[in-house]
Amino acid sequence: MIKFHPSEEHLFHYVTGDLTPAMLMMVGTHVDMCSQCQRNVQHIEETMAQKLFGQRQLPEEFAAANDSFDGDEMLAQILAQPQQQPRDLSQQFASELVLEGKRFQLPGTLARNHHRIGQWHKLLGQMWRAPVQVGGKDVLTFIYMAENTRVPEHTHKGNEATLVVNGVFNDETSDYRDGDFVFLDGSVKHTPETRHEDCLTLSALDAPMHFTSGVSRLLNPFSSLFFK
Amino acid sequence: MQTVIETKTKRNTMSSAQPDDPDHAAALLALVATERSRHAFSELFRYFAPRLKAYATRQFGNEQTAMDLVQETMTNVWNKAHLFKPDRGSASTWIFTIARNIRFDFLRKNKHRQHDLSADELWPVLAEQNDSLDDDYALDDDLLMQQLAVYCEELPKAQRTVIELIYVAGKSQQEVADALGIPLGTVKSRTRLALQKLRELIQSDD
Ligand SMILES: [Zn+2]
Repeated sequence: MIKFHPSEEHLFHYVTGDLTPAMLMMVGTHVDMCSQCQRNVQHIEETMAQKLFGQRQLPEEFAAANDSFDGDEMLAQILAQPQQQPRDLSQQFASELVLEGKRFQLPGTLARNHHRIGQWHKLLGQMWRAPVQVGGKDVLTFIYMAENTRVPEHTHKGNEATLVVNGVFNDETSDYRDGDFVFLDGSVKHTPETRHEDCLTLSALDAPMHFTSGVSRLLNPFSSLFFK
Repeated sequence: MQTVIETKTKRNTMSSAQPDDPDHAAALLALVATERSRHAFSELFRYFAPRLKAYATRQFGNEQTAMDLVQETMTNVWNKAHLFKPDRGSASTWIFTIARNIRFDFLRKNKHRQHDLSADELWPVLAEQNDSLDDDYALDDDLLMQQLAVYCEELPKAQRTVIELIYVAGKSQQEVADALGIPLGTVKSRTRLALQKLRELIQSDD
């Protein structure tokens, strides 16, 4: 059972395409994994379509916008085009991620963007990271934590969204499992860790991390690893 | 008497049906898909194009870009009507998602940035094979499913039990963990090992 979902607002902006690229990937991947949010997305799409196309009579402002619209000419142009043969787009996406000898099935959104996943680098201890190049200012990364691994306590200057692709991690408030989507603003301090299971997550950060606990403050250059 | 009136009213709506009636719009798309009916497409065009134009003008504030969006959207409707799946949503919802994708790509095209996402990587509305990817996330690939039964015999007993419960009985990994009284992590690692083994078996057989 997925316990944590993106907000209504996230879903709405996912439907219209008005989130950052990293967040579109995050929300899209959650939706792949969550039937409840799939239904919400469907509902939002229907509502948008109703708003755009539902009125039988074109209102005045519509008519004004269409003053110079020569529909007949465009219609004739479209009909005059030679028929496009349906291309065979049965592309084979690599839908698997291989790391440390383990294989993970990727949900559709990630599988379609498999080519954007960069090299894995080992961080402290039993943590690995791979960037996902999607453009935009915020940073999208896979983070893999082996069993019994702890991220030094840290806060963020901006927002952090985390999605569990496979496995479990815990922090001070809860445990997070496959499909769970957590959105934290900059004020939250937390210490994610794994216990007897490993965990593959996808994270979007819109500002560098700050590590706040004693020893890890010394390791602050560590945070630059996340933003190479 | 009541029935007669109702039937009559119904017939009247039918004959004056517009593409804002979901069933009618879906029927028109089906005609475009199967017969390339110019008449059906024209009817869709006359309804949707001006409304798309109004939407695009509000979005872009630019006449030419708005026209381009309308033309590209309606061209896709003309050429890709066979990709519309009535059981997944209405015709107008489908057309909205096509327009949304085109707007998304238009907004990025002007920026010429490397690595930028494209709409069809996010929302595969017009992918010829739309179904397979989303569905096989849970169940791995078809090939594996078909040959599973044969190869399962060669797995160690513990792995076979997990695989059968998940892929044959359709249980979730959590349910399997509960049923067998073992940690979820163990179920997952057994599944992974078993799938890896199965893949090797299948590949060595090819
Ligand atoms: Zn959800």
